[in-house]
Amino acid sequence: MAAPPDPQFVLRGTQSAVHALHFCGGAQGREHQRLLSGSLSGLVHIWSLQTRRAIATLDGHGGQCVIWLQTLPQGPQLLSQGRDLKLCLWDLAEGRNAVVDSVDLESVGFCRGSILARGQQRWMLAVPGRGSDEIQILEMPSKTSVCTLKPEADAKPGMPMCLELRQTDSSPRPRLLAGYEDGSVALWDVSERKVCSRIACHTEPVMGLDFDSQKARGVSGSAEKALAVWSLDEQQALQVRGTHQLTNPGISDVKIRPDRKLLATAGWDHRVRVFHWRTMKPLAVLAFHSAAVHCVAFAADGLLAAGSKDRRISVWSLYPPS
Amino acid sequence: MAVFDTPEEAFGILRPICVQLTKAQTVENVEQLQAQLRTVSDSALQELQQYILFPLRFALKTPGPKRERLIQSVVECLTFVLSSTCVKEQELLQELFSELSTCLYSPSSQKPAAVSEELKLAVIQGLSTLMHSAYGDIILTFYEPSILPRLGFAVSLLLGLAEQEKSKQIKVAALKCLQVLLLQCDCDDHPRSLDELEQKQLGDLFASFLPGISTALTRVITGDFKQGHSIVVSSLKIFYRTVGFIMADEQLRSISEVQARPSVEDRVAKLMVHREADWVKNTGDKLAILIKKIIECASVHPHWKVRLELIELVEALLWKCSQSLVQSAGPLLMVLVGLLNDESPEVQAQCNKVLRHFADQKVVVGSRAFADILSENLHSLATSLPRLMNSQDDQGKFSTLSLLLGYLKLLGPKVNFVLNSVAHLQRLSKALIQVLELDVADIKIVEERRWNSNHLSASPKTATRPWSQIQRRYFRFFTDERIFLLLQQVCQLLGFYGNLHLLVDHFMDLYHESVVYRKQAAMILNELVAGAAGLEVENLHEKHIKTSPEELREIVTSLLEEYTSQENWYLATCVEAEEMGEELTMKQSGLQAITSGAHTCQVASFPAFSKPSPTICSMNSNIWQICIQLEGIGHFAYALGTDFRLLLMSALYPVLEKAGDQTLLISQAATSAMMDICHACGYDSLQQLINQNSDYLVNGISLNLRHLSLHPHTPKVLEVMLRNSDASLLPLVADVVQDVLATLDQFYDKRATSFVSVLHALLAALAQWFPDTSDLGQLQEQSTGEEGSHLSQRTTALQDRLENITTAEDIEQFLLNYLKEKDVADGNVSEFDEEEEQSDPPKVDENDTGPHVEPPLPLQIQIATDVMERCIHLLSDKSLKIRLKVLDVLDLCVVVLQSHRNQLLPLAHRAWPPLVRRLTNDDPLAVLRAFKVLRTLGGKCGDFLRSRFCKDVLPKLAGSLVSQAPVSARAGPVYSHTLAFKLQLAVLQGLGPLCERLDLGEGDLNKVADACLIYLSAKQPVKLQEAARRVFSHLMKVDPDCTWFLLNELYCPEQLTPPHPALHPVRLRGGPGPQNPYAANVLLLLRELR
Repeated sequence: MAAPPDPQFVLRGTQSAVHALHFCGGAQGREHQRLLSGSLSGLVHIWSLQTRRAIATLDGHGGQCVIWLQTLPQGPQLLSQGRDLKLCLWDLAEGRNAVVDSVDLESVGFCRGSILARGQQRWMLAVPGRGSDEIQILEMPSKTSVCTLKPEADAKPGMPMCLELRQTDSSPRPRLLAGYEDGSVALWDVSERKVCSRIACHTEPVMGLDFDSQKARGVSGSAEKALAVWSLDEQQALQVRGTHQLTNPGISDVKIRPDRKLLATAGWDHRVRVFHWRTMKPLAVLAFHSAAVHCVAFAADGLLAAGSKDRRISVWSLYPPS
Repeated sequence: MAVFDTPEEAFGILRPICVQLTKAQTVENVEQLQAQLRTVSDSALQELQQYILFPLRFALKTPGPKRERLIQSVVECLTFVLSSTCVKEQELLQELFSELSTCLYSPSSQKPAAVSEELKLAVIQGLSTLMHSAYGDIILTFYEPSILPRLGFAVSLLLGLAEQEKSKQIKVAALKCLQVLLLQCDCDDHPRSLDELEQKQLGDLFASFLPGISTALTRVITGDFKQGHSIVVSSLKIFYRTVGFIMADEQLRSISEVQARPSVEDRVAKLMVHREADWVKNTGDKLAILIKKIIECASVHPHWKVRLELIELVEALLWKCSQSLVQSAGPLLMVLVGLLNDESPEVQAQCNKVLRHFADQKVVVGSRAFADILSENLHSLATSLPRLMNSQDDQGKFSTLSLLLGYLKLLGPKVNFVLNSVAHLQRLSKALIQVLELDVADIKIVEERRWNSNHLSASPKTATRPWSQIQRRYFRFFTDERIFLLLQQVCQLLGFYGNLHLLVDHFMDLYHESVVYRKQAAMILNELVAGAAGLEVENLHEKHIKTSPEELREIVTSLLEEYTSQENWYLATCVEAEEMGEELTMKQSGLQAITSGAHTCQVASFPAFSKPSPTICSMNSNIWQICIQLEGIGHFAYALGTDFRLLLMSALYPVLEKAGDQTLLISQAATSAMMDICHACGYDSLQQLINQNSDYLVNGISLNLRHLSLHPHTPKVLEVMLRNSDASLLPLVADVVQDVLATLDQFYDKRATSFVSVLHALLAALAQWFPDTSDLGQLQEQSTGEEGSHLSQRTTALQDRLENITTAEDIEQFLLNYLKEKDVADGNVSEFDEEEEQSDPPKVDENDTGPHVEPPLPLQIQIATDVMERCIHLLSDKSLKIRLKVLDVLDLCVVVLQSHRNQLLPLAHRAWPPLVRRLTNDDPLAVLRAFKVLRTLGGKCGDFLRSRFCKDVLPKLAGSLVSQAPVSARAGPVYSHTLAFKLQLAVLQGLGPLCERLDLGEGDLNKVADACLIYLSAKQPVKLQEAARRVFSHLMKVDPDCTWFLLNELYCPEQLTPPHPALHPVRLRGGPGPQNPYAANVLLLLRELR
């Protein structure tokens, strides 16, 4: 690896550790592209990538850490999950920033939620449930509970740590990938409420996972010193494809770039690591932050953002997609 | 005054005189007649016109030699009659015309008769009046072909007069008359305009005279400038009126190929001209030559009215005869183009008006022919431009460039035809680049240094053109400032009308191509962009669509990127060693090198050294390069307006970096660029600009700190930013300070200097942003004030006691008090003191930290703690410069941290050992600064410090003072240059205030006093004596009594008388007498004490 690259720019001003990042609105060009960041102090900042400044601050979690941010595919609505046991739905259209709805959560863990669009105005939401090992599936925006996914009595996987709802073209059934505290990743068939497949990838809790449905390959990072790459076969069975050893333990987030070329990991060792997704060849170690990196996010145009405990968000332009 | 209204009466009066005149033609008679005529009303005169004219005409017609005087008076009288009456018969008109004309006929030669000037003038006026007096249509019937010979005679006569007479009056009159004769008179007497047919007939008639008129007038116009502008102006007027009438496209269009048989005799018919196509072409060719001559002469005529009239000529001819005079169109347009930048505002305005008029009417652009001609001209001008720029003098360059500018203005968007041709664009750009070459030999540019760092206080002035007061530039190929302005305009117009992408690409290529072109290319690019925004350009072509803001922004962004890229922005502008400033000595030698270089530059008598050394020239060139680029950034901001705000994230950092540059010129240019940015983006002041965009700056700083070797100036930017921001930025600052400290930790050895100065700026800013409520400074002032008053009270009390006759009881009381105080001082000192000490600090603590949970420290305290931590390491740096600066920073750290004893004390504890070394074993300068730090520290952690000071420092200092004293006492004058002397001085200077601040106990004070007493000796160097005196002045404030005693022990100036006879007289050890070496200083001090 040659000289390590510099961030394209750095966003400062969250005034507390950054725990969630999410890009939105990149389709209409850079002028409208926004980066949303959720901080330890419970604030959500909306950054304009054109002026590189915060254009709005949302305060809806009573000073509790915001751990997950997600815009809905239909229209300018934002979901924010905070550790105040609330999931807020914000209306961001035309410069508004008001909470239009909220869901009360029942778990105070670190597990981020996940959504799946189900038609024009409907979407499915997965969040950690009441019991420590349960996952709750909700139909939104009606907030009706669809089901609760509870592992079999003898499994004891511990708390869910990360969730990923998905639906393949081949089957209309929604499935849920969940990483558990014991280091295992499970694939749930939501409608049948049963685990299709389950593999033990890590010996430590799974901190983040991402899945590439085209290649049917996923990656997960945990508190240990390795990344696990696994795949999903036709029979909906998970198989570990390999593990990738890291120099320092602790991965708090993994993200695959939308064009499926790159994988980025957020490390406790203050580094963001970038891998070639297909070959898992390490491409770059982005050393900028001075504290643990909590989250990474990719924009539609390939821009990478990393949020860290050092209160900064670094934005990188790496191997720009052609 | 007319007395005779009716013809009858008038006839009665006039008849006798007329009869008499007919009989005897004398001047007297004529004058008598004229006198009488004045008494007759106009209407009566009209009736009697023929009658009165008869004797006059008779007088003219009488054969035989005549006296000129008589003819003159007759003509004048005739003129008078005609001026009051009309000629209603064509025959009369013709006859009078002939008769008047022949007055000046000389049969012998072609020239006008050699008669007196008065007569000539009278005849000319007569003719003129006659033509005006012709009634209604008579005048038209007068101009029938048969009149041709006679008219021709008159015309040639008048032309001859105009051309050859000496009298200006006659010339003017002749021209005026000619104008009348050709029916081009300005006056209102001509009742109606001619219809088409009439015009055509007249045109046919006058066409015969065209060659004569045009050539003669051309001779007049191109004649001597001295002949007066009015003649030239009239000639020009007649020329274009006549030509414009005869060659009018409108008339010529309706002329048939075949000549209609004129109903006149052959002799006359031969004179007639048929204006068919061939004739038009031939005449046009011939006229083109004349017009060219006229233009050459009139366009440079010194009088502006002539040039103004020339514009009229151009307008009239281009307007009326654009087809018939197509060959002349080029030169004619050139006139307009050239006069656009005339020095006379009237001419400029008229020229602009005409151009605008043409543009509105599409005369130029609408007609392909004209556009072609213009493009053709521009092509050829572009081709010859490099040569012209090379060979012409300033005046020549000025007119050539004016011409170029005019073409651009006229062609407007069509200029792209020329630009699209690669060869021509190359020619054009080559010429511009060549002529814009700067003279970079000026040595001052490199030499001038910016010393004052507080330059950013200036607020943007409200100038419409902010960059008008730029630093004067010296060009190699011209000196006239106007030429530069013209070049600017040319570039702006190119940017406005031309294809900006094409031009920017082209000049950017040149920019890259060679260092030789780079400055000029950048200058041109700057103006192109300014022009493209169209803010200064006067648009003659309303339909022209400007470059869109988005496009412009895109172009500006790429230019900005280029300008501020590593290889174009960080150019060597001074000797590297000096820039780094690592060593004071290096710096000096660097400066010397430059100044000596400067001398060789200036001394021309040594041919070997007469050329400036290439390095200085190249540094100069680099400085200009940066200045031009900075100016460009200002232009860009100006061009984009508030859109530029988006570019601030990449532009502000580099500009600010240059604002802190050592080179005066660069720093000025950067400041003015920032002013432009302020203007464009709507910031009120530079402070506001910096303050509101600190996030962008911090981003740049933080990223550049990662590559410090590439961006050695980064700390400077932070410094400038800190100086111009306020407490609201603390979180941002805190963020970047972490980076700074981290980088500092990496580069302790290499770049500590710049970092230490940043830390200094940072702490100074913090101290300013967060003034402590229980401010040390205030306390200090108060306490010194109190102490002062306290002291004076005590001394006066003492004096009272001493001076008044005191009773034994008083003395007893005094002694009791003394013993009690002494007791307290000996036994209960600590308790008493502690109480006092403790009653203060806990309050402060309570204010800041709650009793239960320790809240996070304020950011500024965290920063100061972190910085102080580094200072502790840097205190022992090898470089004195750094140590000094670090001591200053440390001082500021203490000020900021003073309210947080919990943080301050441990750090002070750790800082102590290196600080002691500074005090006891360092350069005198460092010693002094260390004392200052101690003083500040003493204010807040006095207790802690006092014991440490007394234990660690005082003995060493006192010891060294004592041991050095004999040396300095013996030393000669050279001693004051030694290090030992400076150390002694520093210690003496530092001790006094510190003792006072630390409130030392008696024992330690005695130590200090003992060590310093020796220096009160007159044998010591004067400076040391002064310093020692100052130590005692401070000691006096702490303990006046003791000091008094000590001093008196040294030298007792007076016998002390006890206050009460019961007491023994006191004898102090200090012997009186002038031979005592301490006498002088002790006396001074005692006086002060009293």
